[in-house]
Amino acid sequence: MDKVLAVVAVVAYTAALAFVAVRARVAREFVDFSLARRSLPLALIFGSIAAAYVGPGFTIGFVGKGFKSGFLFWGIGLAYAVQNILVGLLIAPRLRSLKDCHTLGDAIGQKYDRKCQILAGVISVGLCAGFSAVMANAGGVVLSDIFGFPKWVSVAIVVAITASYTTFGGLRGSVITDAFQFVVFSILIPVLLLSSILFHLDGGAATFTREALAATAAGLRSTPTIEIVGLVAAFLLGETLIPPYVNRALASKTTGVSRNSFILAGIFSAVWFLVMISLGVVARSIIPAGTNEDHVLLNLVDSIMPVEGYAILLVVLMSVIMSSLNSLLNAGAIAFAEDVVKPYAKLTDRTALNVGRCATVAIAAVAAVGATVVPGIISGLLICYTVWAPAILPAAIIGLWAKRPRPLAGILSMCVGTLVAVTFQFILPSAIKVPAIIPALGSAILAYIVGHWLAGENGGASPTIRLNVECEGWK
Amino acid sequence: MEVVLLIFVVAGALSIFISGIWVAIALIRAISAPRVGSIQKNNV
Repeated sequence: MDKVLAVVAVVAYTAALAFVAVRARVAREFVDFSLARRSLPLALIFGSIAAAYVGPGFTIGFVGKGFKSGFLFWGIGLAYAVQNILVGLLIAPRLRSLKDCHTLGDAIGQKYDRKCQILAGVISVGLCAGFSAVMANAGGVVLSDIFGFPKWVSVAIVVAITASYTTFGGLRGSVITDAFQFVVFSILIPVLLLSSILFHLDGGAATFTREALAATAAGLRSTPTIEIVGLVAAFLLGETLIPPYVNRALASKTTGVSRNSFILAGIFSAVWFLVMISLGVVARSIIPAGTNEDHVLLNLVDSIMPVEGYAILLVVLMSVIMSSLNSLLNAGAIAFAEDVVKPYAKLTDRTALNVGRCATVAIAAVAAVGATVVPGIISGLLICYTVWAPAILPAAIIGLWAKRPRPLAGILSMCVGTLVAVTFQFILPSAIKVPAIIPALGSAILAYIVGHWLAGENGGASPTIRLNVECEGWK
Repeated sequence: MEVVLLIFVVAGALSIFISGIWVAIALIRAISAPRVGSIQKNNV
C-alpha cells in the first residue's frame, strides 16, 4: 500500500512540475535563457535561492547531525546564514549593478580581463558539473528506492527530466520550477515536524530539552576543535557566489531585490537548520540510538507516519534534489556559453541560445556519468566546496571591491587556489591535518598579493574596461 | 526554559510554512501572467 501511494505521489508531483515548467514558457533569446530579462521579483528569487541550497545535505544530512550532535551543527550552520547575509549586503548589489553581465565570469572579465573570464568560466562549468553529479547521485538513490530500478536507470531518469525543462526554460524556467519545489518542501517539512512533536514526542518540552542538551554535549565532546573550524570555513565560504546564486543576483528586478533576496535566504537558512536539527533531536526519543545518520529522517518518518509519511518524504526529497540540479545545469550552461565560447567567437543571439541549450544537455550527460563515481552526498559536496572557495572567491570578491584589480593577481589566485585545493584533496590527502580548504584559501590569497605586487601599476585592467567599470559605479 | 525552546522551534516551522505560502502566491502570479507578446497581439 505504501509503495503504491509513494508511486502515485511521485507521478502526481512530476505531472504538477511539468505543468509549472510548461507555464514558465520557453526561452526564445539568450537574455531570456541567461538572465530571465532581469525581471524576477523578490519572492521568486528568494524561493529559488533557498530551493537551490536546500539539497539532500541540508535535509537528510542535518536531521542526522541533529540526532547525533544536537544543536552543535545549528551553530556551524549559522556560518552559512551569515555568508548569505554578507553576500546580500556587500556583493549582490555590486554584481547586479554591472551592465551586460550574465555570469560571475563576466563580472571577473569586466574587472580584470578576458583571460580571467575564461579561467573563471572553465572553473564554473567544472564545479557545476561536479555539484550536478552529486545531486544526480542522490536523485538516483531516491528513485531506485521507490521503483526498484537499477541505480544508473534512476540517475538517467532524474537527469533527463530535469535537463528537459532546464534546456528549454532557461533561467526563468529554472527559477519558476525552483519556486514550485520550494513551496512543496516548505509546506510539507513543517507538517512533518509539528506532527512528530504534537503527536509522537512522549514527555513534550521536557524530553525535547533533555535530548537536545545530551546530544549537543555529546557532539561537542566528540568533535575536535580543528574539525569545527574546518566545517565553519566550509559553510562560510564553500558555496559563496557559486554560479546559480550569482545568476539569481543578476536576474533580480532591481539591486534592492538582489540584496534583500540574499538576506532573506540567509535568515531562512538559519530557521531551516533549526527545524532540521529539531527533527533529529525529536527522533532520539522515537527511533533506536544506533541508527545510521543518513537513515534518521527515513526511519523517523517510517515510525510516525508509515504510509502517508513515506510518500511525503519522497516528494520532499525529489523536490530538494531536482531544484538544486536544475539550477546547477542552467548555471553551468550559461557559464559555458558566456565565458568559454563567447570570448573566442562572435555569436548571434540565436546561436548563443543554442550553445546554452546544448551545454545544458552536455553537462547533464557528464553529471549522469559522474554520479556513478560520487563517493557520497556530503563528501561529494565538501570536495566541490574545497575547490570552489579558493579557486574563485579571493579574485571575485577583491575584484568587485578594489578600484584597479590587476589581471595577473586574478589569474595567479585562481590557478594557485585550484592547484593547492586539488593537491590536498585528491593527491596528498593525508599530508596535512587541517581540511584542504584552509591551506588552499591561504595560498590563493597569498598568490593574489604576489600577483598584485608583480604586476605593478601597469598590470591593471585596460583603461577602456576600467573607465566603463568606474562609470557604472554603485547603484 | 523548556517550553521556550519548543516554542522557538514551532515558531521556526510556522515561519517556513508562511514563506512557502508567500512564494506560492508569487508563483501563481508568475505562471498566470499573460506573455508580453500576447498582450501586444491583443492590443493590435
